[in-house]
Amino acid sequence: MNVIAIQMHFKRNLLAYIAALPMALTVFVAYMGTMFWSVRLSFSSSRMLPKNDFVGFVQYERLFNTSRWISSLENLLLIAFLFLVICFVLGFLLSIFIDQKIKAESFFRTVFLFPYAMSFIVTGLVWQWIFNPQLGVQKTVQALGWDSFQFDWIVNPDMVLYTVVIAAVWQGAGLVMALLLAGLRGIDEDLWKATKIDGIPAWRVYISIILPMLRPMIITTVVLLSISIIKMYDVVVAMTGGGPGVASEVPAKFIMDNLFERANIGIATAASTVMLTTILCLIAPFIYSNYIKKQGR
Amino acid sequence: MIKIMMLSAAISLAATPLVAKEEAEVMHWWTSGGESAAIKVLADAYEAEGGSWKDSAVAGGSNARSAAINRMIGGSPTTAALFNTSQQYHEMIAEGMLNNLDSIAISNDWDEILPKPTLDAIKVNGHYYAAPVNIHMPTWFWYSKKAFNDSGIATEPQTIDELFAALDKLKASGYIPLALGGQKWQENLLFMAVLSNVGGKQLYLDVLKKRDAKTLNSPEFHKVVDTFLKLKPYVDSGSPGRNWNDTTSLVINDKAGIQVMGDWAKGEFTQAKKRPNRDYGCFAGLGDDSLYIVGGDVFVFPKTEDKQQILAQEKLVETMLKPLTQIRFNRLKGSIPVRTDIDVSSMGRCAQLGSRILRDESRQVPDGSMLMESYRYGSVKDAITEVWNSRDMSSKKAVKILSQALQG
Amino acid sequence: MLSISPTNLKFASKRASSIQMQWGRIGIYGFLLVTALFFLLPLYVMLVTSFKELDEIRLSSIFALPQDVSWDYWKVAWSSACTGLECNGLQVGFWNSVQILIPSVIISVMFGAINGYALSFWKIKGANILFACLLLGAFIPYQVFIYPLIRVYAEIGIYGTLTGVVVSHVIFGMPIMTLLFRNYYSTLPIELFNAARIDGAGFFKVFFIIMLPMSTPIIIVAVIMQVTNIWNDFLIGLVFAGNDNLPMTVQLNNIVNTTTGERAYNVNMAATILTSLVPLIIYVASGRWFVRGIASGSVKG
Repeated sequence: MNVIAIQMHFKRNLLAYIAALPMALTVFVAYMGTMFWSVRLSFSSSRMLPKNDFVGFVQYERLFNTSRWISSLENLLLIAFLFLVICFVLGFLLSIFIDQKIKAESFFRTVFLFPYAMSFIVTGLVWQWIFNPQLGVQKTVQALGWDSFQFDWIVNPDMVLYTVVIAAVWQGAGLVMALLLAGLRGIDEDLWKATKIDGIPAWRVYISIILPMLRPMIITTVVLLSISIIKMYDVVVAMTGGGPGVASEVPAKFIMDNLFERANIGIATAASTVMLTTILCLIAPFIYSNYIKKQGR
Repeated sequence: MIKIMMLSAAISLAATPLVAKEEAEVMHWWTSGGESAAIKVLADAYEAEGGSWKDSAVAGGSNARSAAINRMIGGSPTTAALFNTSQQYHEMIAEGMLNNLDSIAISNDWDEILPKPTLDAIKVNGHYYAAPVNIHMPTWFWYSKKAFNDSGIATEPQTIDELFAALDKLKASGYIPLALGGQKWQENLLFMAVLSNVGGKQLYLDVLKKRDAKTLNSPEFHKVVDTFLKLKPYVDSGSPGRNWNDTTSLVINDKAGIQVMGDWAKGEFTQAKKRPNRDYGCFAGLGDDSLYIVGGDVFVFPKTEDKQQILAQEKLVETMLKPLTQIRFNRLKGSIPVRTDIDVSSMGRCAQLGSRILRDESRQVPDGSMLMESYRYGSVKDAITEVWNSRDMSSKKAVKILSQALQG
Repeated sequence: MLSISPTNLKFASKRASSIQMQWGRIGIYGFLLVTALFFLLPLYVMLVTSFKELDEIRLSSIFALPQDVSWDYWKVAWSSACTGLECNGLQVGFWNSVQILIPSVIISVMFGAINGYALSFWKIKGANILFACLLLGAFIPYQVFIYPLIRVYAEIGIYGTLTGVVVSHVIFGMPIMTLLFRNYYSTLPIELFNAARIDGAGFFKVFFIIMLPMSTPIIIVAVIMQVTNIWNDFLIGLVFAGNDNLPMTVQLNNIVNTTTGERAYNVNMAATILTSLVPLIIYVASGRWFVRGIASGSVKG
């Protein structure tokens, strides 16, 4: 491209550049700035207040010698997998079923969406009660006469993560439903007519035709779910406090505890840098193929 | 130039009447019913002295503390901010972010009237940086009289063996012997109770302050850890994650025998209309020489050059520590007065018992948070919860995990 | 315009499969009902608890109905629960929350739409790398941002002001909003855009005349998300709002959150439900657009 062509390009797209300015500013000042700042602090000895010294990889060594951090990472892997799959499948099923011209559509839609509006400070406690063997489901079923009934996942270190996933799905599935419903409602009428004539069964239409068409919405959904997985914090704090022991600790809680209560900014920023690097490695190929290679569209 | 100075002086004089009352903005986390009532005593006392109190409440200790720090960083500090009597604010002192209270402390004889652990936590390099308002003792034993009677436990246990005997009897007669809320901080309290009651003063201080290999490998510390682990079978299966007040309910409703919890638990009993010594009992530790763990709350005063604000800060300190304010405030808060020189006969039974113990300096030990940095104490709590909740935990392995956290 | 649905689809072979279809319908309703019950279970527990006395909560099953229904705890939660020295309940921060909510939602959704549109249809050099960085930033916990942002805000004088909160919500909402609109617009045919450009329409003209009218469903989703996030936000409001603009969630937190204080579970439940009513109203109200949604804008091909 020669100089004139470049000038032409900018002139033609001047307004677009101006419109993108707030985004550029946000990215550079808020996001990039903070990212560099926190990476920088992870190499310092900062405790309660940020310090400007340099201590090398001390915080990282300390981080990976902390058994709680290691279990947090392991827990996150399991939660991420289960939450992503269950939330997506349930949300997708709900959106399809709601899209079947059912009666009381708006009732169902609101019911599935409402947990999204509730703060986990208290709903987490309610879930804790429901799962608590002395208070909730187990006790109630036993009181009905089924004495041997056992449902004590929340007090069992091997099972507690599943209770966290259940509560998280309860909160997140509605949003997936709403997103995919918006996508479904955007699909062309003609498509249904065509498949009707061809006599293709509905489930096949959904799997082979609708799903690929919803791809951009699905990507949005998966990114949103991933963000909420990485940041998962409230539900754990309110429901299990990370326990029993460290059986339901998650990285975001580790970061938050160290950032505030433990006044240990160094290790908190090291942990957030580790998370960020991991995410970068995981999604770099994805971002590359989706957003950079296919310039524009 | 002089003219400008005079002008600005005139302006500031003219502005003074608007803020004639020293306005004090106080950041704290006391938002629950009883706590609100308690802070109101402090606010009323301050306003009775002609000040004006601006309340900034944020629930959750670490929320409120970081909000206070954020305000300082953003250049609009509050007049005062609540912290725990601990090392939480020591870094702020080192960074010169707090005003010192030397003149008030010296004129009021703080060295004489405050318990040593509290004094050590607020006095850094010979200067006083925080105003303590109360003493919380985090490891009281609360028990149900009915459960004790039904199980044939005649007297409060005086030794650790008697405690285990009592727990066994409670278990045999169908009670939950030990009510524990399985949250990190509650498990930590239980451990500290064992450490102080089984280990004694020297070991307590060596483990939490000196943290040397010799202490941590000693048979005495092994015994402490062993005892802690032995308590586990006495806890019910509903324990993990349970809030402290729901746990206290178990004692209140005579479903459980004993709970180890701070003096604030008294409020729950009072609210349920239970009477001390008839429905429930309290003891601070095992035996007549048991230790009294000294915790509590302090206010710190962010650095400011504003004369009006400094006056407000001084007035706050003065009013908070007046004997009558101390009694009224602590009665509502569940704690005991930080001053050891005032008459507490108007306070509750457990509080009087606590105050009596506190006057014996040999029985005072500082809370863990005063003996180490917040981050280290946090790791210790992680270690305790890991030890408590692992299925097959030998005391040897437990000692190793705890030592790592203490020395890390 | 017909609405899409496999029911219509199966209509052709109605006689052959009407029994099968009925079973299908029953299956659909069965699934929706069971799921709805699961979703409502915690709400049920919260509701019954909000009517019980504390003693009753201590002693009865969490699923048991309250002995008598009184709205006392709801009134307390709304107008007299203590949140520190002030005992005026949740209502204190309500208008502050509204004041924060409206500009924050409008501005952040608008930025999301314009960003998404610019990224999807215009060739801006480096835009995709910019977007990738923005998305990456969405994975950092907000809390890490606090310290540097306070410094910057104090420097430019918006720390502790309404502007500061709104700016923060716009910043933190931008990655998701941009992603939402960008991916939505990329499903729209580019021919639409090209045709308008040939007609000589400029950046904003194309946006307002062509793109915006076609964006109803995604705007609804964006509004749902932002209303919920901003209304429920506690941290940004607490840190950046300053004393005079504290949102309702700070009061909610003050009512329900305590470590060693007592907990009035009945008031806590009522307070939580009350706080969630505003997003809930938005969900219900958004319903009609969900249904029509695309109908007005499906100008495909």
